[in-house]
Amino acid sequence: MNISKIANLRFFYTRTESIAFILSILSFLLFCIGIYWGLYIAPTDYLQGDSYRIMYVHVPAAWLSLQVYIIMAFSGFIALVWKIKIMEIASIQCAPIGAFFTIIALITGMIWGKPTWGTYWVWDAMLTSELILLFLYIGIMVLYSAFSDKRQAVKVTSLLAIIGIINIPIIHYSVEWWNTLHQGPTVTKFEKPSAHITMLLPLLYMLFTFNVYFLTVFIKRVRLGIYLREKNSKWLEEYLND
Amino acid sequence: MTNNIEISVNSAACYKNNNIIFKDINILLNNREILLVTGPNGCGKTTLIQSICGIQNLESGHISLNKVNIQHQECNYLENILYIGHKNGLNDDLTVLENLDYLCAFDSSADSKNTKLIRKSMEYFNISKYEDYMVSQLSEGNKRRVALARLFLTKKKIWLLDEPLNNLDDETIKVLIKLFIRHQDNQGLIILSSHFDLSKELNNVKIFKMENQSD
Amino acid sequence: MIKAIVKTELAIYFRNLNSIFLPLIFFFLILSVFPLILGTDKILLGKIIPGMIWITVILTTLLSSNNFFRDDFKNGVIETYLTSDASIELVLFFRIVSCWVFTCLPVIIFIPLVSLLFEISFQNSTIILLTLILGTPVLISIGIFGSALTLGLAKNNILTPVIIIPFYIPVLIFSASAIEAVSIGLPFTMQIYILLALLVLVLPTMPYLLKYTLELSINN
Repeated sequence: MNISKIANLRFFYTRTESIAFILSILSFLLFCIGIYWGLYIAPTDYLQGDSYRIMYVHVPAAWLSLQVYIIMAFSGFIALVWKIKIMEIASIQCAPIGAFFTIIALITGMIWGKPTWGTYWVWDAMLTSELILLFLYIGIMVLYSAFSDKRQAVKVTSLLAIIGIINIPIIHYSVEWWNTLHQGPTVTKFEKPSAHITMLLPLLYMLFTFNVYFLTVFIKRVRLGIYLREKNSKWLEEYLND
Repeated sequence: MTNNIEISVNSAACYKNNNIIFKDINILLNNREILLVTGPNGCGKTTLIQSICGIQNLESGHISLNKVNIQHQECNYLENILYIGHKNGLNDDLTVLENLDYLCAFDSSADSKNTKLIRKSMEYFNISKYEDYMVSQLSEGNKRRVALARLFLTKKKIWLLDEPLNNLDDETIKVLIKLFIRHQDNQGLIILSSHFDLSKELNNVKIFKMENQSD
Repeated sequence: MIKAIVKTELAIYFRNLNSIFLPLIFFFLILSVFPLILGTDKILLGKIIPGMIWITVILTTLLSSNNFFRDDFKNGVIETYLTSDASIELVLFFRIVSCWVFTCLPVIIFIPLVSLLFEISFQNSTIILLTLILGTPVLISIGIFGSALTLGLAKNNILTPVIIIPFYIPVLIFSASAIEAVSIGLPFTMQIYILLALLVLVLPTMPYLLKYTLELSINN
């Protein structure tokens, strides 16, 4: 009973208006704290100096790009099997968000690469997997926009997302393995076990902040999706005229 | 012992691109009956017939064969239906005979090795002279005749036909009507969409008129 | 029933001789373009020839499987598949295999000739041949899946490749590394096993996935 209430588009749209606003303020504040913490409070690294601080944006962005894909595939699966409307909207709205995080991860990866390795792009396992993930996201968005019947589009893109998620571990494994073959055992960018707690803590905090930001954008986009789909229905017109 | 067939459509509604195509459709059809779905262009006749086939998903409601939902495995729905759609379902790169051979392979009730019977069906529809012609060389009317030749070869009880009389000349329409009567006598049932009023030529015709929902 | 399907598939392909020769001609055409652009330095070409062959094979399989279902959709054959009580998975499996036989097998047969022209060593060309035999059925299956996803879309000329190429990447990586391992002298059995595993996973499950995708996409 409870779940069908949440699944009801009208229920979701009307109840989440204030939540969306609160979350956006919250994520802005969290980001401010995070910037201060990452740029000033965290200590300077022995090897990389201050340039490592980009990690506080790069790592959460990369993590979230993968997490959003999993959410997209999962909600797509629910939409296909149980035909729940809100999952259809949620699934496709994840795609641009995930693509955005992937682009951030790639750009910050390039910015990190320059002072660390002297070059903007390096074909290491992480960056190459991120690039392929970006292409997967773009594929889904492009496939969605090619259909004129958007409900049909969601079904097909959900299937593509589910197949993609089977593919992601294979791609990651193959790229990582291809990379070690070419460069020998490389030092990974973030040696988690040996990182000092004062550097690790802001990282975890930023991960949390990015998740809050994702939740904000996600709720807003789902509301947008509901609006676009239910544009002509009575309840929406009445609600908006209040 | 007669196999009694009953097809029921219960409160079916279908949406495409967020527009209602049809809703609250209720139909009950038994052996020896013919359902003629008619209405203006764009009222959803093709969508209705496709959803009775199981190709088009319904937004709400369900379709049952002998009280069993057609989506369920135990219904064995596909063993009983033959669908000939608006498009002919023919392969452009094959001859007429090869096409009918190929289509028979998909029909479990038709004997695909019986070339004599296939030739008889072509004779019935007067397309014997096109036996070795590529389907792409035929006119639209002749292509329709090839597609409908499957009706002569099948023993399936439920026929779902989308605008079968399209592109046909009067002669072929008469021949088709005779085939419908023969099917009715064999306890079969037919659901078809058409702009023609067939209740004059056939018995037991139920007319189902659909309307444009977007008005 | 299988006999009818196989007979029909052969008839369709043989009647249209284009479909047999064009992929092969396309393959040689693109392969010839590489030296034109990159110069005729034998050492350079010798280093990159496996990559050249694989890129050309990708392009060939993409373009051949891109429009696999296009005519079937236009003519309503897909609806016949979906309303038939025959085993559609079996039909689709044979269609995948026949697509491979008529587009990739000619290329594979001509690889020895390519090795002669580009002076590839015997071990290298054997491993190239092996990776192609194991990898191209997977590529064709995935390409046909892409064609099923974009059924009926009007402007899908370059859409399907964009969607499908990320799924090609594992096959590419393992084939490329197998070839490189052989040319250096390292063991290559693990890559071959993985390619074999991909083949065994993808080829049998693809007909079921295709049928599901066709059911989804037909409501276009």
